[in-house]
Formats: sequence, structure tokens, C-alpha cells
Amino acid sequence: MSATPDAVIIGGGVNSLVAAACLAKAGQKVLLLERSPAVGGQCRLAEFAPGFRADPLGQDAGWLPPAVARELGLAGVTRVVPDPTVVVPSGEGEWLPLPRNAARAAEQIRRYSTRDAAAWPAFTTLLARFAGLLESLYVLPAPDIDTTSLGELFPLLGVARKLRGLGRKDMIEFLRTVPMSVQEFLDDRFEFGPLKAAVGAVGVTNIRQGPRSGGTAFVLLHQLVGAEGGAIRGRGYWEAGPDALAKAVAMVAERHGVIVRTGAEVARITVKDDSVAGVVLESGEEIAAATVLSGADPARTLLRMVDPVWLDPEFLLAVRNIRFRGNAARVLYALDGLPDFPGLTGTPGALAGTLTLSSSLDDIERSADDAKYGRASERPHVELQLPSVRWPGMAPQGKHVLMAQATSAPYRLRAGAWTAALRDALGNRVTAAIAKVAPGFPDLVRHCEVLTPVEIEERYGLTEGAPSQGEMTLDQILFMRPVAGASRHATPVSGLYLCGAGTHPGSGISGGPGWLAARRVLRDRRERRGATV
Amino acid sequence: MKLYDAIIVGGGHNGLVNAGYLARAGKKVLVLERRPLVGGAAVTEEIFPGFKFSVFSYVVSLLRPEIIRDLELPRHGLQILPLESTVVPLDNGDYLGSWADPDLTRRELARHSARDAEAATLFGRLMHHMAMAVKPILGMLPPDPASLAPSDLKGMLKFAGHFRSLGAEKFHALHKLMTMSSADYLDEWFEFDPLKATKSASGIIGTFLGPRSPGTAYVLLHHYMGEIDGAFRAWGFQKGGTGAISETIARAARALGAEIRTDATVEKVIVKGGRAAGVALASGEEIGATVVVSCLDPRRTFTQLVDPKEMPLDVIEAISRFKFRGSSGKVNLALSELPDFTCLPGYGPHLRGAVSISPSLDYLERAYDDAKYGDFSKNPYMDIVIPSMIDPGMAPPGKHVMSCFVQYAPYNQIGGWTDANREAFGDAVVNTLSRYAPNIKRAIIGRQVLVPSDIERITGLTEGNIFAGELALHQLFFFRPVPGWANYRTPVKGYWQCGAGTHPGGGIMGASGRLAALEILKDVGQ
Repeated sequence: MSATPDAVIIGGGVNSLVAAACLAKAGQKVLLLERSPAVGGQCRLAEFAPGFRADPLGQDAGWLPPAVARELGLAGVTRVVPDPTVVVPSGEGEWLPLPRNAARAAEQIRRYSTRDAAAWPAFTTLLARFAGLLESLYVLPAPDIDTTSLGELFPLLGVARKLRGLGRKDMIEFLRTVPMSVQEFLDDRFEFGPLKAAVGAVGVTNIRQGPRSGGTAFVLLHQLVGAEGGAIRGRGYWEAGPDALAKAVAMVAERHGVIVRTGAEVARITVKDDSVAGVVLESGEEIAAATVLSGADPARTLLRMVDPVWLDPEFLLAVRNIRFRGNAARVLYALDGLPDFPGLTGTPGALAGTLTLSSSLDDIERSADDAKYGRASERPHVELQLPSVRWPGMAPQGKHVLMAQATSAPYRLRAGAWTAALRDALGNRVTAAIAKVAPGFPDLVRHCEVLTPVEIEERYGLTEGAPSQGEMTLDQILFMRPVAGASRHATPVSGLYLCGAGTHPGSGISGGPGWLAARRVLRDRRERRGATV
Repeated sequence: MKLYDAIIVGGGHNGLVNAGYLARAGKKVLVLERRPLVGGAAVTEEIFPGFKFSVFSYVVSLLRPEIIRDLELPRHGLQILPLESTVVPLDNGDYLGSWADPDLTRRELARHSARDAEAATLFGRLMHHMAMAVKPILGMLPPDPASLAPSDLKGMLKFAGHFRSLGAEKFHALHKLMTMSSADYLDEWFEFDPLKATKSASGIIGTFLGPRSPGTAYVLLHHYMGEIDGAFRAWGFQKGGTGAISETIARAARALGAEIRTDATVEKVIVKGGRAAGVALASGEEIGATVVVSCLDPRRTFTQLVDPKEMPLDVIEAISRFKFRGSSGKVNLALSELPDFTCLPGYGPHLRGAVSISPSLDYLERAYDDAKYGDFSKNPYMDIVIPSMIDPGMAPPGKHVMSCFVQYAPYNQIGGWTDANREAFGDAVVNTLSRYAPNIKRAIIGRQVLVPSDIERITGLTEGNIFAGELALHQLFFFRPVPGWANYRTPVKGYWQCGAGTHPGGGIMGASGRLAALEILKDVGQ
């Protein structure tokens, strides 16, 4: 690079790419540094067996805020919402599918409970409205108690109007729901166990809690932001591949002049006189920059890359106290053929969606009990996706990839470190769980790879193997994300910003943190320029 | 039909406080109590000859000082004896003590962890600030968050303004406290597990949550909010048991002109033309009143005392979702001798304070695990006091009464609360206790086991929840008990609520009774 960049961006995940593209579009010279051989971050594809690929951390497409799509011209990146979105074993070899459309879902539910079927359409409408309210909060800098400037208060009035627009009953219900447990939330409305389990499992996404814990109703709502019509797991996947969004944003970024360097791992962020001075790569190369944005998680950025002398002890303590708690392992299977789920033969399209294997909230709770005491669960809650059904190119012709997520496999085991034996045992338990619903499955397995949170940490640079970059719990969202008083992407080091999922609006909001971080950088720059004029 | 200005249904301490305030304003007031004695869950009864127990609620800390002042309770017999220490027997035979003397407490804690001893001072200061920050809210009338009425908007602004006045730092700290689990919150401060367990135990009392569930941290504050003669953090006994507090308030109310009738079961609130007109007793007697105030819990107030057709459907529905989920039991023991704790053998000052069976966070969490799948805890959390040590009148000379607050005992016990299950629960308590005080089995000469269904049967508290409704974040302030009706009114004109199921609720605080009275007086004129 000939000249010093205006901004260096650490990491090549979607948020970093969005931040880079936005800054470049505004005329900044941007250099993006990614430690692995390709950008994409969490949605990067991994070839885990010859010809077999998967996006191990993939869950769904998340929500791409329309404002981000508009700013970067991403309208061409389309998503597919599977139909049904999710299926759950409903007893005696049968499955309950939840089609995208609420009325059709209600028809399916009616086979088991007329009461639940009657309640379903209104329930999804309610979820959609609640998620819509979160959407309006997620495109603004996190409001805080000391917000005083009119420029910040004005957009908040829009949120307040939207809250009032819910109507009296729903508005109160929203406030009441947020701190509740997802189990209470569901028990109030439904009676059929497998239905509650299918919905409730979403409430424990990326946290180390069971469905009876407070705040899990919020997690459910958060996961529904961007879901079509409040459909459970209704956010779908990117049509062109798990990394389609990342690729599209990377193209936009490069078109605006962002220089992307892969295989460039940042070792240190250099600071001079409380201001950022640049970065030093693992290779020893030094790159000067007055602005650095890190898409790495807050702990990795602030505790490992910045010399602690520049940070106030209380701030450091707050960062150390962020709860990451990677709690899910991924098991990747290379298969010789499509597994046969006998109960699903009459449900076309089911294999493109999510198969969630726990039929009762108690099963999920019991699995969380194990994690609570630092044990990998003997009966983990397992969810399946088949990337090769969604995207045929993920496996050789006629072959398939199955990806299992096993929750309650905590990063920290109380008995000691994760060993190969423990990893294999976990893989076997997951295989057995799948064999229960697909009896011929074990014979199809040609290769299997287990990624515990420890491997996820190593491969993706995510502290404690947490894809959330910090659990999305009520004390770690909005003005508390990543830590109280530092929610607007700036850090105590002048010129150093955070732009990853560890910042507001958090994980699952594709590009949201990156976009807000870039806007913050540009605003600070304008203000500084204004001050010097 | 005799006409009163106000009839209060239920002689719990909130009802008595309410009556006291109304009478003080010159109103003609009648309190009707179903049982032969007033007090509700704050009663003293002689369960075994010569042995008197604070049967349910057993300590006092939150009784509002303005009530003590306004009703002149000291003149009528209020006498709080301090409960100064807490000792936690540990599984290794040692103990963790917390004493009246802060220096002694710090040295004791330092014996286990120097770091924690240091942190405890800062923690205490923060909790003090947080308690001060929350205190004004206890005395605030909850506004309706969805209303555009000027009074509600003003209330919301006052509420929001209060938080803003705290400043960002305290507000953030309070937010953490309101949303975190007590285990996570304490993990940020301390390392010594029994200390964290014991502190977090106060966060689970009366809830159906474990210490690792978000939403349990803020109850930690309750421990720091007790005010005795203006001193924060003190807990104590009333001389004569908690029933004596009820009797004191009753005496004060009577002195102010209130009438109190016991053995008078109210069957229904009489509603005429959408307005409360009086009450009908089980005996058939009808008594007229301009205002009827229910001190019962929200479910009874909204759906049982009045014909449900008088209530809007959405209110009935909201009440049906209000969570009670009683989770605690009480075991009252008559003892022939004092318990002899292995960790502190023989007689000692620890017997004058509380003994907490909370050896580790896992211990508490496992106790919860049992209960969440429908069984009582095999190794329960217990808060134990021996009131006869401080107030010898509670037991015959040389003998003692011991009160064990026990968690968890789910209301919906698997197999139901049969006599066999109740006794099995009592055995679990005694067996747990005997691990720390081996002489206890020999010492027991009387044992009363109360499970949530007993608490419900005797006191009327739905599902036996000791706070008349879980103290969970989504059931506080303007949610308590129902948004829009958190201002002590009900959809039936002239029918009011003043029990612990309203803001701020829970504990022998009296605040609900007082705030309701102030609102009633605002409405009907002084």
C-alpha cells in the first residue's frame, strides 16, 4: 500500500466488511486485514472432507437491516425461507412441521391440539410485531440514560411511537415478555409439548441457559428479528450460498477501493498518548493508522491486542466480565447419501429447513443443567441442517453434508480440558441421537468432525468459542453492549472502535454493528474536523 | 345494613396498616379477618404447649419507617430485637460467619479469602447506593405505562426522571442488578463460593428460579433495604414473634378508631351498579360500605371475591397469567436442647443469629433442579433462626423454638402434597440439618411441617406464594399485579386492593397498605 490508510479494519467477517465498505464509500482509504486465507468470518466455508463443505457456524441468514442493504446496494442478495421452516418429532415416529405460513402451520398443529392451533396465527403475528419493535431499536445507536442531544433523541421518538403503535395491550405484553423465561411465555399460550420445544429451543440460542431461565423470551424475540411474518426460524438462508452476503459486501467494498489483505493476522494495536497509532501484524509488519476498527470480539480486541496500560482498570474489569460462554458444539458429517427420516417422507422440503430433535422443554432444560455444572451434556439438545440440500454444490454429486449443533457442550469443562476422547464421545452421542430419527444414518457416515467451542475459538478467533461475541442476555444488550457506557462502538482509546457482533445491535443482525460503527467513525471525524476549522 | 366508610377484607399486616391510615383520617373502618387471629402470614401461634412460633413470616426488616412513625407503633408495642449474625456451616467442617461488628466480619471473611474481604467493603457500598436508588420507587404510585392520561404521563416522567437523576454509572449498575442472575452478579465480585451462595440465597427467596437464572440478582437488594431505626441492612425479630407486629398494628388501628372482627369470613364483595357496596359474610350477614379494600392476593381479589363478570376479560386473563408458583416451605421445631453445630460446638453467639444452609452455589442450584421437575429439594436451602434465644418468652424455660425457612418445595409436588410427602419433606429438612448439627434429631420434641399447599390453606395465599405473587421483574411496579391496575384500584369502582400482590409487595413492609390508603383518601376525600 502506497499511502497510510485512513482506517484499518481488523477481521473479515460481514460486520467488518460492511464497516469497510461504508467508510470507503464515504471516501476513506480503508485497509482490511483478515487472518485466515479468505474473508467471510463466521459464514466462511470449510472443506472438512474432500469435496464436502459446510459453514459450521451457520444458523440462518440473520437480519440484514434494509438501511444497510440500501446503502451498499445489496438488493440482489436474496434469501430463501424453507417451507416448513422447522420440524420437530411429535411422538410415535411422527414429526410436526411448522410451515412458513401461520394458517398452514395451524393446520399442522391442529392434529395435536385444537387449542394451540387456534392460538398459533395470533401468536406469530404478535411475535412479528414485537420483533418489528426490536428492528426499530437495532438501526439506531443504543439509547442511553444520559442521551441528551436532540439528534439522538429524535429517532428514539420513532421507537416510542412504534411502541405506542403496538396498542395498549401489546405494548404492555412486550414489556412483560422481555424479562420472562421462554417457558413461562409459552406455557401461558400452548399445551402441546413438541410445539413448545420447537419454539422454546430458539429462546436458548447461543446462551448457556435453559428455557426456564429469565430473559430467554427476549432471546426468542431477538432471533425473530427479520423473520417473515414472525415464523419460527423464518429468516431463511442466502440463496447463493452461506457466504453469499459476505461475498457481495466484499465486492462492494473492493469496488469502493477497500484493500483486502488475507493471511494478515493482527498481533497488536499500537497506542500513543491515549490515541490509536496503528497495528502490528504477527509477521512484525507495522501499519500506521489514526483509526482502527476491530471486528474481533471485545475481549480479544481489548484484552489481547491493546496494552492494558492504556485502559482504566474498571473498564478492563468490565470487559473481563463479559459473558461469552460458548456452549454449542458442531458436528459435521460427510454422508454417502441423503439420510432417510422415515417420519418425514410425507413432508417435502423439510430437509431444507431445521430439524430440532428435542420434543419437550424439559429435555432442553435437562441438557442445560449439565452445562450449568460444567459438563458436556449426555443428552444434548441437537438441531440439524443439511447444507447440501440447500446448496447442492456443498457435496459431491449424490453425496450429502449434515451439520448438527449440539447445545450444552460448554467451553469450560469442570473436570478439565476437552480431550479427543471427550470430543469423540460427544460425536457418538450426536450420531446416536440422529440415528433415533434416521435409523440408517450411521451407515451413511463417511467422515465426521466435531468442533467443540475450543476448536471454534481457535479457528474463528472467537473468545470461548462464542459466535455471539457475548451472550445476548438482557444485561449485555443495547447500552450494556459490549460494556456499560461504551455501547456506541468507541473505546477509551481515541480512534479505536469496535464493529463486531459484540457491539450493539449484536449477533444475528448482519452488518448492523458494522454499519453503526462506520457511522460513528464518520461522525467523530466530522466533529473533529468541525472543531479544528 | 350497617354502613362503614371502608371495609378491609383480610387482617394481614397490610390490611391493618391500611385500616390504621384510613381510621387516622377519620374514616369509619372495619377489618374482617377469617381466622381467629389477625396477621395473615405474620402470626404467632402456640403450636405445641408452651412453644410459640412465628408460623410463616419470621423476620422483619422492611417495615417502612414512616408507618412506624405515623401509626406510632412503638407506643403500641413495637420492639424489634436485632438479629445480628449469619453463620454458614461449610461442608469441610469449617464455617463462614458474618457478625454485627464489621471488623470482625471482615477478618472472618479474610480467613477464607483476602480478596473477598476487600471486595466486600466496596460491594456493601455499592449495594447501599443501589438500595438508596431503589428506595424512592418503593414509595411511588406506579403509573400506567400505556396511558396517555396526564397523571400517568407525569408518573412515567417521574419514574424516568428518577433514573436519569442517578446518572449513567449508577443507572448501569442498577440495570445489571435488575437483569442478571445473582450467581453471575456475585461472580463479578467474589471468589469464595459459600459467600456467593449465601448472598445469592436472598435472591431466590419466594421465587421459582435458581441462583443462576437471570432476574434473581436484584432481590439481593432486599437484604440491604431493611431499615431499623434508620439503619440500613439490619434484620430483626419482633418481641413475641411476627404475630406481635400484627397485633401492634391492630392495636394502633383500634386506637385510631378502627373496628376489627376476627372469625369473620367474607364470602363476596357486593357490587351494585358496577360499584362496590359492601360485603357478604359466610354467615349470611351483609355489611355495607362506601369502599371495600381487599388485602388478599390478586387472584382472590380479582376473580374470587367478586363475580368475574364484573371484571373486564383482559384483566381476568392477565390475572390468570400472574405467577404465584409457591416454592418455599417452613419447618417449625420445638427443641428440648439447643442444636450443637459441628462447626461451632456448644453454646455461642451464632445461636442468636441466623444459620444459613447454603454451602455452595451448586448446592442451591441442585435444590432448584429438584423442584423444577416437580419434587421438593432433597438437600434444601434453609434459613434457620432460634427466636427463643433472643426472646425467651417464645419457649418454656430451657427449651427452644427453631424456625427453618426451606426452599424449594414446589406447590405442584409430584404425587401431590400427601401426608407421606409432607413428612418426607420434613425428614429431608431434619436430615440435612443433622449433617451440620448431629444432636438435632434427639432434640426435636415437636415438628410442624408447612408446604405451599398448607400455606395456601391456612393463610389463603394462592399457591402458597409467600409474597402474594412472585417477585419477578415482569411482576413488579406497574406490572404488579396488572398493568393499568397497579394503582391499588380495580375495574370495580369503590373496590380497592392493598395486599402484597400490589407494588411494592413482599416482606413485612406495610408499604402496599399505606400507599393504597393514601390513594383511597385522595379519591374519597379526607
